[in-house]
Amino acid sequence: MVMINLRDKGAETWGKWGRPQRVTFAVIVIAIVGLLPYGADFSLTSFLNTPVSSYQAVLVYPVGMFVLMALGLNIVVGKSGLLDLGYVAFFAIGGYTAGLLGIYTKLNTWEILPIGMAAAMVAGVALGLPTLRLRGDYLAIVTLGFGEIVRIVALNSQSLGASTGIAGIPTPPKTFGLTFDIEHSNSYFWVVLIMILLVIWMVRRLTVRRAGRAWEAIRQDEDVAILMGVPILKYKIWSFCIGAAIGGAAGVIFASKTQYVAPNEFTFNVSVLILSCVVFGGMGNIWGVVMGGVLLAYLPERIRFISNARQLVFGLTLVIIMNLRPDGLLPRKKREKLGAKAMPEKEANDV
Amino acid sequence: MSDQPERILELKSVTMQFGGVKALDAVDFHVNRGEICALIGPNGAGKTTIFNVITGVYTPTSGEIIFKDTSIVKLKRNVITSKGIARTFQNVRLFGEMTALENVMTATDVHKKSGLVGSLFGTPRSRREESAGRARAHELLQFMGIDHRSDQLGKNLPYGDQRRLEIARALGTEPEVLLLDEPAAGFNPAEKVALAETIQKIRDAGYTILLIEHDMSLIMTISDRVSVLDFGKKIADGTPGQVQNDPKVIEAYLGVPADAS
Repeated sequence: MVMINLRDKGAETWGKWGRPQRVTFAVIVIAIVGLLPYGADFSLTSFLNTPVSSYQAVLVYPVGMFVLMALGLNIVVGKSGLLDLGYVAFFAIGGYTAGLLGIYTKLNTWEILPIGMAAAMVAGVALGLPTLRLRGDYLAIVTLGFGEIVRIVALNSQSLGASTGIAGIPTPPKTFGLTFDIEHSNSYFWVVLIMILLVIWMVRRLTVRRAGRAWEAIRQDEDVAILMGVPILKYKIWSFCIGAAIGGAAGVIFASKTQYVAPNEFTFNVSVLILSCVVFGGMGNIWGVVMGGVLLAYLPERIRFISNARQLVFGLTLVIIMNLRPDGLLPRKKREKLGAKAMPEKEANDV
Repeated sequence: MSDQPERILELKSVTMQFGGVKALDAVDFHVNRGEICALIGPNGAGKTTIFNVITGVYTPTSGEIIFKDTSIVKLKRNVITSKGIARTFQNVRLFGEMTALENVMTATDVHKKSGLVGSLFGTPRSRREESAGRARAHELLQFMGIDHRSDQLGKNLPYGDQRRLEIARALGTEPEVLLLDEPAAGFNPAEKVALAETIQKIRDAGYTILLIEHDMSLIMTISDRVSVLDFGKKIADGTPGQVQNDPKVIEAYLGVPADAS
């Protein structure tokens, strides 16, 4: 395949660059992504346009939201190896927090955002403390249950609007000259983009430091990690919490964009789709996860014109690509400097 | 050794029962500070079980484990490590997808004060600790003679270097007592000689070493004291020379002579 060495090539080029080149490159990429909402307006790039839904709206939900949540879930599943099948719960908690506070208080979306994230984090700790001693499949089942519990509680609580949910959630106020309403999807896109960039910055930062090593050690061999002094429960809960906060943030923005939340927005399907983004893109690699999120969110919208065959084509695409690249589009980075330090004369003794 | 050597680690009548099997039966056992103490015995005698109860993998059914005058029986595994006991594993268990340097740095993180928030915002303390940990890890890799491998993934290292890296990683937690579980397994005679030198070098650097090993010549050359286990019981304890001639030890290894019973 063409992109077989994209990861190594990219890492190699990036490694050779100095600071000014890296900054320039990052600014250019961010600018291009930032201008994506206008992509459909030019004949050259009009192929990007989605046939049924508004292209600008699609860029926010699902594309931006999926990328954001996939990056959050990647910390839990990809970095620390904790299989979470109920990630939608945190998205829902963020959404409902925005709904309740938006309706009953005078707080605006930006003030609600940290509260929504905090609520999701609290839920993350509450779920994590008793369950993170479980491993693998057992943890997956418990989180799956948690995701369903949150949805069913919302469905059965009159105060949360039961099955009709909460409607009339206020949109964010005018900020930096940007209007936020149904006509101006671009404003939301830029907000989500900033959040994505913040998460990428955070993950890149943590990965090369103590937390990243602790997560990596836990993912690879939990028993050895704890014997090497890694406080594994603490780092697992941190991982859960950060993932939850990102999910909660996505929920708040989602609620203020669609202006309503209802239980049927937060089904198990969403958890599975987000997890698919992570696996499809390449567990543990942020660029892979971003690509996975973009493709899995955008593709179904792009091929909406084939109506009934849409899910079939989507599913087939997934199966084919996962067969060709079983570790995802861009697998976990191998940080080894390949061939840089070969030592032939020593090798003979070691065999 | 002085007349009254300090007992840095002591097991007092430790019993470990798995269902009906007594893996350890009232074992009394101690390690003096600054010595190389060897733990030998036939397969299934309970040697690795002793390592596991010391490091907190198992909680003993009864008995006390005293490390530097305090009981460590009820402590969590990572706390025991941070107090100064580190180990290697009988079958190498490295973090295969991490580089050699990262393997050791994961261990040097034990005594760091800065946590996740510190690393996120790059606080001065976090940066200082990060570079100190990196320097220490390189130092340990150099000490074990594998610093040239620091950027290679654990799983890609040759077998011998994997074993050396495991020791470097254990030393990264800055232990006072280092537990080595069959460090010479799979080594050729030349490598065993080199390993013996390394272990003595580690002891001379101020660490106390408790060693499980099957290679008798290695044990007899380097250890100050030898304890012998058989069927979960300690049957002998003393200098290599004493233990070698102990009839109970000979019996455990070679069986009872046909006319004896």
